[in-house]
Amino acid sequence: MNLTVDHLSVSFSTVNIVKDVSLKVRNKQFVGLIGPNGCGKSTLLKSIYKVIKPRQGDVFLSELDVMKSSPKVVAQKLGVVGQFNELSFDFTVREMVAMGRTPHKGMLETDNQEDQSIVSGALRRVNLEGHADRSYNSLSGGEKQRVILARVLAQQPEFMILDEPTNHLDIKFQLQILNIVKKLDIGILAALHDLTLAAEYCDYLYVMKDGQVAASGKPEDILTKELIGQVFDVSCETYRNPVTGGLGIAYLETR
Amino acid sequence: MNAMQTEIAVQSEPKQSIINSRYGFMTVIITLFIITILSAGAAVSFGQVDIPVSQSYRILLHHITGIQIGDVQDLTSGSFVDIIWKIRFPRVLMAMFIGAGLTLCGTIMQAAVQNPLADPYILGISSGGSLGATFAILIGFGSMGLLGQTGVAFWAFAGAVGASLLVLLLANAGGKMTSVKLVLAGMVINALCTAFANFIVYFANNAEGIKTVTFWTMGSLAASSWDKLPLIAIAIMLAVFFFLLQFRVLNAMLLGDEAAVTLGISLGAYRKTYMIITALITGIMVASCGMIGFVGLIIPHLVRGLVGSDHRRLLPASILFGAIFLIWTDVIARTIVPNVELPIGIITALIGAPMFMYMLVRKGYAFGGKS
Repeated sequence: MNLTVDHLSVSFSTVNIVKDVSLKVRNKQFVGLIGPNGCGKSTLLKSIYKVIKPRQGDVFLSELDVMKSSPKVVAQKLGVVGQFNELSFDFTVREMVAMGRTPHKGMLETDNQEDQSIVSGALRRVNLEGHADRSYNSLSGGEKQRVILARVLAQQPEFMILDEPTNHLDIKFQLQILNIVKKLDIGILAALHDLTLAAEYCDYLYVMKDGQVAASGKPEDILTKELIGQVFDVSCETYRNPVTGGLGIAYLETR
Repeated sequence: MNAMQTEIAVQSEPKQSIINSRYGFMTVIITLFIITILSAGAAVSFGQVDIPVSQSYRILLHHITGIQIGDVQDLTSGSFVDIIWKIRFPRVLMAMFIGAGLTLCGTIMQAAVQNPLADPYILGISSGGSLGATFAILIGFGSMGLLGQTGVAFWAFAGAVGASLLVLLLANAGGKMTSVKLVLAGMVINALCTAFANFIVYFANNAEGIKTVTFWTMGSLAASSWDKLPLIAIAIMLAVFFFLLQFRVLNAMLLGDEAAVTLGISLGAYRKTYMIITALITGIMVASCGMIGFVGLIIPHLVRGLVGSDHRRLLPASILFGAIFLIWTDVIARTIVPNVELPIGIITALIGAPMFMYMLVRKGYAFGGKS
């Protein structure tokens, strides 16, 4: 399933947050969205998954016109792992994950055997099958994020959006989550803040600054010290990491 | 979160919903249902005149099904029959429905505003209702005969519904309705209506009327009768039926607006519909029995600790629990002080507040939320 974003603009009152952004995620690509805080990444993602109404522009999931479709139809195709995750009411982990089945169910339909096995499968994929009856609010940040990921897996989406899914997580959980997502083999658009992780996991990157796409391309082509300096306002050197063979970035100082 | 912290999180296993299996849950519901029926039967025995429980059951059974057990004379005539069938039974049924209705509205409002402190009265409904009643009793239509007593009920209803519509309107102004704006709007409308009501009371030269207002704001089921029951019963049963079918939306509401949209449910329209329905139901309840606080707040919390937050379990369990609670609170209200009928709102607050305190203090309980 492809994602096409066409000339999308978002403004809050008179301020333009996202300015005429177009991007494309081809089938089964893992595409990263990077940029400094406040560059409009989250706003862009939110308007793709229908939380914010854009001023203009179109979003298509393959043939599906996201802007004109009901949330339910979109949710059957598109899963979202967001940044939020605190609840003021408690659920068990299993209840939480089972809610991923919501878009596939009629109002009055109860969960059947198939739903239950989908939920169990999702829990297994994020290594939380032993925690099914735990209370969600008692979990650590990393575990909570994996529960949310499991909920999105139970949704069985054909495309997934991740909005800084690894924010505030320890490196172990960051890697865990990105690995699970990478293995899904569906189209992915993810806002990430760690550039080396972005370079390692993404097939393609869009770099945003001031609400616009500043650059796009394969990570090894565009993550140069000039671009990083210009977009993130830091001096750095890039090198080939002698251990992993991947991209390494040595930050020198802020300008 | 490093490995050690993770370990600690695992060790400090929190309290769990007691009932997790489908089987266990069905047992709970059936048990609660049986207790509700038994309570309704037993509660008619208590009052100024105590009637043996077995005789109460026989009289009720005879009137409902026609089955005769024991002396026929006892079942068809005599003072006990009138007391039970004409006075106490409609009142107990009223308590049952009001208890269920208040709990239902509390549960729905807590979900709709994502705030565990919401209850049918926090969002301006109570003060609107009492403003309406105060108006009707002290200024309004007392002298106009025709509108006399029904006038109070009607104005209470109108006040309650009017106030909650105003709250909705206010929360909706200037963009998207959020739960915070709803609660704040509720507080503002509350303050405004209370001020108006106090203004009327202050200048009213009518001691009897003021006493009526006071009694009314404390809530009472004393005015229950068979002819008032059908409206309440039908309205509350329809609402219960409606909301039992809405469990997916209600669950999604607890996750917040954004997560709900990603699960295919746009909350805006649902939230408004739910608020209007609960406002109507609360309006009807307030009109017939005044303001009975704490039930809608405390019972959902209590039951969440028992069966969890999933509404397909929470709703049926808490509705039954609320019904049982109010049946017995009403028994206490009419028996605790001999020959005096206490307003039931005093009893619900006296029981509810300490329960709430206990839940606050109890370790690991944070409104069903994070500890």
